Amino acid sequence: MTGNIHSIETMGLMDGPGVRTVFFLQGCPLRCAYCHNPDTLPLTSDTAQVMTPEEILAVAKRQKNYFGQEGGITFTGGEPLQQSPFLVQCLRLLKQEDIHTAVDTSGIGPSRYWPEILKLTDTLLLDVKAFDAEGFQDLTGGSFETFLRFTTAIRSHQFSGNIWVRHVMVPGYTDNEADMERLAELILPLGFLIDRIEILPYHTMGREKYRQLGLSYRLDEVPPMDQARAKEFERLANRLFIQKLPHAPHANAHVLYRAAALAAQTEVTPANPDKEVTAAMSSEAPLSFRADSIDTSVYLREGIDLRQLPLLRHLSVSQFHELANSVEVRRVKKGEYIFRSGDPCSVLYIVCEGQFKILTYTPDGREQIMYIYSPGDFVGGFNLLKSQKYLYFGQALEDGIICTMSKEFFDKACLQNPNILRQILEKAYDRLRWAEELITRLSSSNASMKVAELLTQLADRRGVETPDGIRIDLTLTREEMGSFAGMTRETITRKLGEFKDLGYIDYTSNRTIYIQDKQALKDYFLGC
Amino acid sequence: MKRRIWLRTAETTDKMTTEMATKAWDAFASGKWQETIDVRDFIQKNYRPYDGDDSFLTPATERTLKLWQQADELMQRQVRERSVDVATDRFSGIDAFEAGYLDRENELIVGFQTDKPLRRMMNPYGGFRMVENALAAYNLTIDPQLAKSFKEYRKTHNQGVFDAYTKPMRLARSAGLITGLPDAYGRGRIIGDYRRVPLYGVDRLIEVKQEELAAETGPASEERIRLREELSEQLRALEAMKKMAYRYGFDIGRPAETAQEAVQWLYFGYLAAIKENNGAAMSLGRNTTFLDIYLQRDLDHGLLTEEGAQELIDQLVIKLRMVRHLRTPEYDELFAGDPTWVTESLGGMGEDGRTLVTPTTYRFLHTLTNLNPSPEPNMTVLWSEELPRDFKEYCARLSLETGSLQYENDDLMRDIYGDDYAIACCVSAMRVGKEMQFFGARANLAKALLYAINGGRDELVRDKKTGQPLQVLTGIKPLTGDLLDYDQVAGNFRLVMTKLAELYVDTMNTIHYMHDKYAYEAGQMALHDAHVHRYMAFGIAGLSIVADSLSALRYAEVKAIRNAEGIATDFVITGEFPKFGNDDDRVDDLAVEVVRFFSAELKKHEAYRGAEQTLSVLTITSNVVYGKKTGSTPDGRKCGEPFAPGANPMHGRDVSGVIASLNSVAKLPYCHVCQDGISNTLTVVPATLGKNDENRKHNLAGILDGYFRQDAFHLNVNVLERQLLQDAMENPERYPNLTIRVSGYAVRFNQLSREQQLEVIKRTFHQRV
Repeated sequence: MTGNIHSIETMGLMDGPGVRTVFFLQGCPLRCAYCHNPDTLPLTSDTAQVMTPEEILAVAKRQKNYFGQEGGITFTGGEPLQQSPFLVQCLRLLKQEDIHTAVDTSGIGPSRYWPEILKLTDTLLLDVKAFDAEGFQDLTGGSFETFLRFTTAIRSHQFSGNIWVRHVMVPGYTDNEADMERLAELILPLGFLIDRIEILPYHTMGREKYRQLGLSYRLDEVPPMDQARAKEFERLANRLFIQKLPHAPHANAHVLYRAAALAAQTEVTPANPDKEVTAAMSSEAPLSFRADSIDTSVYLREGIDLRQLPLLRHLSVSQFHELANSVEVRRVKKGEYIFRSGDPCSVLYIVCEGQFKILTYTPDGREQIMYIYSPGDFVGGFNLLKSQKYLYFGQALEDGIICTMSKEFFDKACLQNPNILRQILEKAYDRLRWAEELITRLSSSNASMKVAELLTQLADRRGVETPDGIRIDLTLTREEMGSFAGMTRETITRKLGEFKDLGYIDYTSNRTIYIQDKQALKDYFLGC
Repeated sequence: MKRRIWLRTAETTDKMTTEMATKAWDAFASGKWQETIDVRDFIQKNYRPYDGDDSFLTPATERTLKLWQQADELMQRQVRERSVDVATDRFSGIDAFEAGYLDRENELIVGFQTDKPLRRMMNPYGGFRMVENALAAYNLTIDPQLAKSFKEYRKTHNQGVFDAYTKPMRLARSAGLITGLPDAYGRGRIIGDYRRVPLYGVDRLIEVKQEELAAETGPASEERIRLREELSEQLRALEAMKKMAYRYGFDIGRPAETAQEAVQWLYFGYLAAIKENNGAAMSLGRNTTFLDIYLQRDLDHGLLTEEGAQELIDQLVIKLRMVRHLRTPEYDELFAGDPTWVTESLGGMGEDGRTLVTPTTYRFLHTLTNLNPSPEPNMTVLWSEELPRDFKEYCARLSLETGSLQYENDDLMRDIYGDDYAIACCVSAMRVGKEMQFFGARANLAKALLYAINGGRDELVRDKKTGQPLQVLTGIKPLTGDLLDYDQVAGNFRLVMTKLAELYVDTMNTIHYMHDKYAYEAGQMALHDAHVHRYMAFGIAGLSIVADSLSALRYAEVKAIRNAEGIATDFVITGEFPKFGNDDDRVDDLAVEVVRFFSAELKKHEAYRGAEQTLSVLTITSNVVYGKKTGSTPDGRKCGEPFAPGANPMHGRDVSGVIASLNSVAKLPYCHVCQDGISNTLTVVPATLGKNDENRKHNLAGILDGYFRQDAFHLNVNVLERQLLQDAMENPERYPNLTIRVSGYAVRFNQLSREQQLEVIKRTFHQRV
C-alpha cells in the first residue's frame, strides 16, 4: 500500500499541539475559493512522493526527539480522508509506536473509514468552512451534508481525543458577529470535545500559485483578512461557544454542592473565632507567625511564636511548659522532603513559613500534586489519629519553616482540647471538598476546562485584586502547575498561551498570572 | 586617588597573603582550593544553583546608562565614519600604556587596552607588515624611529614562519587550499583562567609559578628548556599585570575582597591578555558561576543590592564590548564586523547533577536587554537537557528578541572536558586553565575535491612564472573523460585528503613552533597550570558542497566541461540527487565519511608539543571569500558563489523543513572526529515558530532539546524575516543594532559587506505558507 504525499514539513508548529511533522497528502474533492495549495488538489501528481505507511513511520521516528510531551504527526492536505485506507494504516502504525496523531480534515471522505480514523486520532483539526449548505456549496462546491454527517459520526463513534475547530475567515464572508454565533451553534453538539476554536485569517499568498498553474482565482478582488480583526473574532467565537455550552447534570450538582458547602461554612464560622483556620488553599494574605515582641523563650523557636499558630493558640501556658520538648521548629530547604509515602506517622507538621506540596506518583510515574499547603496549614493530624502511615509525599516548594509536634504532645494537648479537634475536623471537611474538586478536574479530558478551573480556584483562594486583574503569585513551576491540573507541562504552557491570546489572562513572568476575565474562565468549567 | 603600596618585600608577602586571604575568603566554604590553585573546587564548594526565572532582574542604573550612552556613541561613530584611532608611538604590552577612562564619575569597572577608549594598539610580534598594512588602510603612519628600530632589532613570528615554510606549504597557502593560517597574526583561542586573579591575588600566583619553575629539574631537553623559559616569561607577565592594575590604583597582588573587586580583578586579568595579544579570538571563559559567589556574598551581607549587582555586570559587559584590535582590510573581508570573540560560556550542568546556572548567569544575559542586542561578548549557552526549564525558556526568549545567543551541547562536552571547560572563539572547547589550543583555521575541501578531478592543479590560480594553472599537489592523476565516475573521483579525493592532511599538520607545526618562539602569550599562559594539554585545531570549509558533489556523482550524471588546459571549469548535472540537509542518509553518510577520513588522516602525523589533533566544521563569515576563490563544483554551485556557512546545508537545498535540516547536521560526529566543533546556523521566520511569543519561546526550547538530544553540537539561532534584512541592507541607519548570528558568532548586520549581506539573505529561511 502506498500514499501520494505532496510534501513533508518537518517542523510544523501550527497544525496541532507541540512540534509536529506534517504530511501533506494529495487529493481534495472540494474547490475552496481561497485554497492556497491548489497543487494538492489532484490525487496524483508528477511531483508527489509515493510512500508506504512504513516509510511514513520511519520519517516520524527520525523526528521523535523533537516531539516532546505534546508533539507528533499531522496529516493534512489536500483532504487526507481522500486517501483513507492509506491514512488508516499510517495512523495504526504510529499509534503502535505511541506517537501522537492529528488529522486536519473537513470530513469529506468515505464514511466506512470514519470509525477507524476517529479511533486512531488524538487531535482532530476540524475545518469548518461554512455554516450552512448554501454557504458551503458556494465556497467549496461540496456537500454540507457530508460535513454534518461527519460531525455526527465524531460523537456516535465516541471519539475520545480532542478537537481544534478551525475556520478560515475571508473578508466579506464570515467576518461578522452573527456568523460567529452560527459557528458556535454549529459546533455546539461537539461540546466538551472541543479544545479550542481558531480563526485563520485569509491570506493572498496562494494567488501566485494559481497564476503559475494557469488557473483563475475567484478571490482576486478580495484583500487579505486583517490579522488583528481575525483575532478579535477568534476571541468572540471562543467566548460565545463556552457561554452556550450546556451545564451538564453533574456540573449542576457541583454548583449545588458548592452552595451547600458555603452554607455549611457559615454555620461553622460563628462558633469559630479563628479566622486563620484556612482552607487547603487560603484566600487570606500570607500569614506570618513571626514573633513581633520577645516574650518568653518557651514560645519562641527560630523566630516563630508558637502561640500564634492556629492549632496551638488555645493551649495554656502550663501546657506549653510541659510540652516544650515535644515541639520542634526547623528550617527546610526548597525541594526537601518533609515525609515520604510509607513513612510512619509519628509527628504532626504545621507550616510556619513557605509553601509545601503534597504529592503522589501515578502508576505511570507522573507526579500528581494533591494539595498545596501554606502557613497555618497542618499535615498528619488524621494519620496520627488513626496511627496510619503517610500515603503521600510532602515536599517544600521554597525555603520555609516547619513546626513538628510529637504524638505525645498531640495526644496530651490536642485530643483533650475541643477547639483543636474542631479545627482538625474542619480541615478534614475542607480537604475532602478540595479533593472532590480535584477529581472533577482530573476526570475532565478537556484541557481548556482543566486549566480554567485551576485558575479560577487559585484566583478564588489566593488571588489579590489589582488594577491589572486578579493577581495570582505562584510558587509552582509550569511542571508543577501541570501536575496540579493533571496535564503535562507543555499542555499547560500552551493553554496559558492560548488564554493569554484570548485575553482571559496575562502574565509577564512565569510566577505571576493576572486573571483578566474570570467570567470567561468560569464559563468553561461551569460547563463541566 | 589613594595609591597603595604594591611592591612588598619577600618576608612580608607570606604574612600579608595569609591575612588578606582571611578577609578575602571570609564566609567561603573551605576546600582544597585553598591549598592549591583549583578554581573549580572553589566553585563547587561555594556556588548556589538557581532554577528560578528572570523576575528578579533589574534595569540598568542611571550611571550605567550614562556610561553606555557615551560608549555606544563612540562605537557607532567609528563605524559610521569608518575611522580608527591607533596609538602609533609605541607597541602593545601588558603594561605599555597609562590608565585610560571613559567617564570616571560613572565608571565602576575600569581599564582600557590603551590610554583611551577604542584606541587600538600596534602589535607587531605576529607580523610587522600586518601592522603597516592596517595603518596604511586608515592613512596612518607609525613613528618612523619606532619602525626602524623594531625592524632592525626584532624578528617576528611571521618572519620565523616564512624562514621555515617549505615550497608545498607556500603553494597550498597561496592557492587558498589552506587559508586563514595564523602565520602573520596572533593565533588567539587561548583562554586564561582569569578567575585566578580575584580568587588568589597575583602574589599567590607568582609564588606558585616560582614553585612550578623550581620543580622543573632534570635533563635540559629542548622541551624542558622551553618550559623553563616560558615559566620565567609568565612570571614577568604577572609582575606586569600588577603594575598595569596599579596604574588604575588597584593592588591585584592580593585577592579580591568584594564583589566589585572580584569583577574588576577578573577584568584586569583579561585586560592583560588583550593588551599583550591581538589573537583573532580572545575569549573570556566561563565566569558567571564564579562571580556569582562573590556577588551573592555581598548581597547576603547587605553590602550590595540587586541593582548594584546588575550594575557591576552591565559595566563589565560595556568594557567587553569596547575591546578593539588593529586589523587589515583583508581580515575584515574575511571576518566582518570587527569581531573579537569575547566568548563567555554560560550555564551548563555540573558533574554532580546540579545546574551551574546562577542569578549572575541571568544578569550577564540580561545585559542584552539593559544595554542593547550586541554581538560581543559572544554569549554561548551550554545547553543540557537537564538545564532548569525557566532558564531554557529565558534563553529562547532572548534568542527571539535579540538574536545574540548561540547554543552548544553541554551534555556532549561535559563527558569529555568535565564541568569547568569554556568555549574559545565559536565552538572550541577546552578546560579552563588546564588546556589550550593551537588554532589552525581551515582547509578548503571543496577546492580539494576539484584537485581530485584536476590532478592537483588549481582551477583558478595560475603559476606566476609559467602562466599555467598552479600545480599545488603532486602525484594525483587528472581525470580525463567527460563523464565523471564516482569511484574515480572519490578515490582521487581520498588521495588528495591524505596528502593535504600531512601538509596541513606540517604547516601547523611550523606556525606554532614560531608563534611560541616569537609571540608567546605569557600573560595568558601565566593563568594556566605549568603543564597544559594542547589541542591542535584543524578545520574544513565546504563540507556540504563536497557531500552534494559526491552525491551528484553517485546518484546523477555529472559531465565535466574542461578548458584548453584540461581544467574542469564547469559541470553539467543530469538527473536528481539527494542533497545534504534533508535527513537523507544516502548523502548525509557521505559527509560523515569525509570528516571521519580526514580527521583520521590528520591524526596520523605527529603534532608539535604532543598536541591532540581536532577538527572543526566552521567558517564564520569566511564562507563568502571561500566561494569567491573556488571554481564551479560538481554539485551545481557556480564559480564564485558563496559556500554555506559552517556545516550548514547549501542555500535553499534543505527543503524538508527545519528538523530534517537539523537532523542532517546532527549526524556529523563530534567526539574524537569533529571535536573542535560543528557550527550550524538556523534561520527561521518568527511565524513558523508559533502563534504567540509564549508559544515560540516554548517551541524553540523544545527544538533545541530535540536537536541536542541526538548529540548535535552547536546551533546559532536567527528568528527573522527575509524582508527585514532586505530593508536593513537598503536602509542601514534604521537598524543600527540589528544583530544576527553568523557561523560561530554574532554580528551587526550593517557591518557586513554587501556580498556577505546578500549571502545571509540567500540562506534558507525556514517558513511555511
